Amino acid sequence: MSQDGGRLANFRLIPRIDTYPRVVAFAQTAAGKIVLLALFGLGLAYSRGQTWWALTLWLVLTTFLPDRRRMLVTIGTLFFTIPVFFLGFTHRQLYIVVLLGSVLVLGATLFWSAAHWPRSWYGRRPVFFFLSGFAVLILFASSIPETTRYYHLVWDFTAILSLYIWFIAYSLLDRKAPDCDPFGLQLGTYLPFWGSTNTPLPKGAAYLRRIEARDAGQLAVTQLKGLKLLVWSILISLFAHLFAQCVHGYLRIPTFAQALSLSVSRTPLPWYTCWASLIAGFFEIIMDFSVWGHRFVACCRMAGFNALRNTYRPLSSRTVAEFFNRFYYYYKELLVDVFFYPTFLRYFKRNGKLRLVAAIFAAACFGNAFYHFVRDLGFIQKLGLVRALVGYQVFVFYCVALATAISISRLRHRGPAPTGFIRGKLWPSFSVGVFYCLLDIFGSTERNYPLTEHFRFLAHLFNVNL
Amino acid sequence: MDHMAEIRDFLKKLLSSRGDRQPFTDTSSFFLSGRLGSVDAVELVVFLEEQFEIDFSETGFDQSQIDSIEAITSLLQSEKVG
Repeated sequence: MSQDGGRLANFRLIPRIDTYPRVVAFAQTAAGKIVLLALFGLGLAYSRGQTWWALTLWLVLTTFLPDRRRMLVTIGTLFFTIPVFFLGFTHRQLYIVVLLGSVLVLGATLFWSAAHWPRSWYGRRPVFFFLSGFAVLILFASSIPETTRYYHLVWDFTAILSLYIWFIAYSLLDRKAPDCDPFGLQLGTYLPFWGSTNTPLPKGAAYLRRIEARDAGQLAVTQLKGLKLLVWSILISLFAHLFAQCVHGYLRIPTFAQALSLSVSRTPLPWYTCWASLIAGFFEIIMDFSVWGHRFVACCRMAGFNALRNTYRPLSSRTVAEFFNRFYYYYKELLVDVFFYPTFLRYFKRNGKLRLVAAIFAAACFGNAFYHFVRDLGFIQKLGLVRALVGYQVFVFYCVALATAISISRLRHRGPAPTGFIRGKLWPSFSVGVFYCLLDIFGSTERNYPLTEHFRFLAHLFNVNL
Repeated sequence: MDHMAEIRDFLKKLLSSRGDRQPFTDTSSFFLSGRLGSVDAVELVVFLEEQFEIDFSETGFDQSQIDSIEAITSLLQSEKVG
């Protein structure tokens, strides 16, 4: 390869500053830390909006007080969480704080009980009992008439608990670890201050303990990686903005939701426009996940925890299972930790294939469906349990199709991997991309249209009008 | 072949099947570093179950237990294998 060709192959849009010894050495000095934090704060000011200064301030504390990092994470998390609740609810603030406190006390009680009675029926499978109990709570809440005095209280409690169930589940999984953190430190991972969805990013306290920077050198490398990731997030968000303007503005391609809505109203767009909407929507979802996922992980790294990226080159995936892993890593990890491993380690041990398929269905089908069903409690409250379940048919189909595809992907006998760029990389990645693109037709949890309408849209893509 | 060598050999093949031919030591992290994923963890679990008769449904399972050769060795010792 020529020198220019070699340079081109090694070109990186964002230099690998975390591997430059002089930069790493500078980042360990007080001046270096201040420069890093200032640059990171600027990036947050652009990408995070109003809370950037508070977040930067907290990152200053975790940077300069590394010995108290975990405690600061807990305090920061509580400090950031409570105002969010104040903004998000219309009821009295004290009422919400009391409910939040009740949820956290419940989490602490469950954690303490599992740790102190490990051989009891609950202590042996606390996550199973906790999630089953939450399902029963939803059943109970749905059975209360709206006119009843306790209707809002029960639903508000359930809604707040639903935000925390996966965080509590990770604490319960951590209970047996010899170096298990006390509940006070576990709290720092509950909707942590660096940002998270209902899915714990990055996992629970056990993971946080293992990825924490142990010395100044590790902290410098971790923070430099955090800065790089934040820059990535900003660049992708800028590109996503240009992409949306170009596709929906200049080219006038409607969004997937609009295309589906027109199909439902029997005035479908031409099939090729539907393809364009679907493909554009697929890329937009990937960019959206990359933007917020990179931002959360960047802040986590800046706080001193070397977390893996949430989204990592999904379009280079060569199998359906690999895409699932690369697209939303921490969600996949949650499903694996809470549903896959318990099933895999307990059932069908004598039949390897059945064992694997059962575990995949437990995670990608049941776990996936359960997660989204309990996340969208508003539908259950608004529609009632039965109608919410019936309306969920589209996403259940999505889960079944996904689990089937992952099972096939894992079980298929593979010969030697094809070589060459087209057969070895481009074709497998293209096939996986097309599969997920088509699957996205059924990826809605909104309960707007029945399953038949989604199939009608799918058929129309191939110019078949049902 | 001793246990360490067996495990090292298995992990070398597993990494190699993922296109990872970088060297590793007994303390190298496989899962927390992202070199191997949860699907690979399944293969490693099956290997440990078959070769060393470990029952993770009894002992409980955490990826950190199998994150490095050192961690696996200490797991085997705690289970009194060999």
